[in-house]
Amino acid sequence: MIEKNNKKTIILWAGLAVILLLIPMFVTKPYFLHVIIMCLLWAYLATSWNIIGGFAGQLSLGHGIYTAVGAYVTVMLFNTLGLSPWLGMFIAGAVAVLISLVIGFPTFGLRGAYYALATVAISEGVIVLINSIGDVGKFHVGGAEGLILKTVGNSWAAFQFSSKVPYYYIILILLVLGIIAAKKIKDSRLGYYLVALREDEDAAAAIGINVRNNKLIAGAISAFMTALGGVFYAMLIRYLEPNAVAGAVSMSTQMVFMTIVGGAGTVFGPVIGGILLSLVSEFIRFYLGGQLMGLHLFVYGLIVLIIIIKQPSGIIALFDKLKERLSREQH
Amino acid sequence: MGFLSVVANGLSMGAIYGLIALGLTLIFGIMRIINFAQGALLMLSMMVSYWLWAATGINPYILVIIVGPIMFAVGYICERCLIKPVLDEQKDVREPVAVLLLTAALAIVLENAALMVFGADYVMAKTSFSTSTIALGPVTVSAARFYGLIIALLAAGIFYLFLHRTQVGCNIRATGQDRNAAALMGIDVPKTYAIAFGIGTALLSVAAVVLIPFYYVHPSVGAVFMTKAFIVVVLGGLGSIPGAVLGGVIIGLIESIGAQYMAATLTAMLVYLVFLLVLFVKPTGIFGSPYDW
Repeated sequence: MIEKNNKKTIILWAGLAVILLLIPMFVTKPYFLHVIIMCLLWAYLATSWNIIGGFAGQLSLGHGIYTAVGAYVTVMLFNTLGLSPWLGMFIAGAVAVLISLVIGFPTFGLRGAYYALATVAISEGVIVLINSIGDVGKFHVGGAEGLILKTVGNSWAAFQFSSKVPYYYIILILLVLGIIAAKKIKDSRLGYYLVALREDEDAAAAIGINVRNNKLIAGAISAFMTALGGVFYAMLIRYLEPNAVAGAVSMSTQMVFMTIVGGAGTVFGPVIGGILLSLVSEFIRFYLGGQLMGLHLFVYGLIVLIIIIKQPSGIIALFDKLKERLSREQH
Repeated sequence: MGFLSVVANGLSMGAIYGLIALGLTLIFGIMRIINFAQGALLMLSMMVSYWLWAATGINPYILVIIVGPIMFAVGYICERCLIKPVLDEQKDVREPVAVLLLTAALAIVLENAALMVFGADYVMAKTSFSTSTIALGPVTVSAARFYGLIIALLAAGIFYLFLHRTQVGCNIRATGQDRNAAALMGIDVPKTYAIAFGIGTALLSVAAVVLIPFYYVHPSVGAVFMTKAFIVVVLGGLGSIPGAVLGGVIIGLIESIGAQYMAATLTAMLVYLVFLLVLFVKPTGIFGSPYDW
């Protein structure tokens, strides 16, 4: 979008940046700031999923594994060894990369559907595993009871703050880095390989692209980024409930929904989808949550259903159409 | 329970898993769509069967005559009104991901609609044979499970014959192999899609009526069977009918035999472990080929 480099877009971006930086000054109620933080976290998670799911077209339905790995590894290292989450997150990221390779190696040789089904089954397996493990050596996992982060009060080293504001800036930075990474990947050699193998695997292999390796690289990057999102989630929520951190409905499917609704395979689609759907979901929960059981999720599902039917290629396509019309009117 | 009874129980549960996986495999094979609403539609079938049974008291197995057509209609209408518009829009996309997400959203809608209408209660059709057993020589099995096994195998057999011996079945298979060629041969491809989706859904009604005499129905019961069905189709080979049945039986046996010797969570882990092993050794599943679909 910045390629045109005209004055208007620069002003637009600068304005957006100023607004984003100033948000905590205007939104002083912790609840509203928390909602905004969750929007940005979901935008980030959708952006991470998009690397493998959108760019490479490999439908992972088990990215909850990686948020869980990020969250659990970091919290376990911190609770037991006192290792700072700022270091722990890289260990967690490395574990996530390892797991992504284990899943990807047998399945990436096959066509899309096998990978999708395998990720569902494996993530269900991981949830059962987390739910049933109480302790690993001296590390406490908590099993079905969940795992509570040891709180130490306001501390940068421990990634714990009494105010929501630092969390806001951290997730904002993480999201911006995620978007930059997505943009760089999209414009890189890897990005073109991924598009080629997404569109036609046989043709991509025929012109000498190593299909499996490129899928593995994209999968590993995506897993690493998702794990960092999991770390942030753990530090923000401070309590890990296996089904919330790793579950299909609460985690894995959400990332996919948001990316598809926003526009898979684009840089900004997942961001738009993530923010929009988490706002919708929060709004519905706020107004309908306490009423009839199941009502708010029913409405949420209905909204997603309608958006997909009306706009299968994502909301971002609407923006493109709008931009096209505007530029046509100018000329 | 003796070992043979455990095996018999595993076989019957496995045959039902296979039946659920059949619909999944059919819809994937023909339309290249992983139907994430399969579990929710199973729940719907079970709810409909249960309420029909509660209202009339007719043997649930006979109710399949009513539930089957209802579910076929539900599947047919879902395909026509929800999936077809998106599929048409995404014609040039190789993997119709948006359609898949559509079925996932449909699952959320159905599950929560059931939660709103029926509440979170667990119900079961307590029929005259729900608690009785049948002695087959040295083996004693639960009557409901034994009938379930027979009916599931019968349904799978009929389904196989239907696909191979009838004109509609041939149309479906032809469309699955090459939809463009099928269209050139005069097959109405969109209609075949809707029929295939309807049949995939109708198969669930058979699973539903054999399940309700011994299995509790609740709004999220579908999720339990969904994951199993996914494992079964990958295990047996995507798109393969014998694969789905065999895969189902394998999973059923692992579960029931495992449950005799270890904790329930470990048994669940064992299923996933076997799944991972098969994935590494023969990623295409027992009867699958990577180039079929």
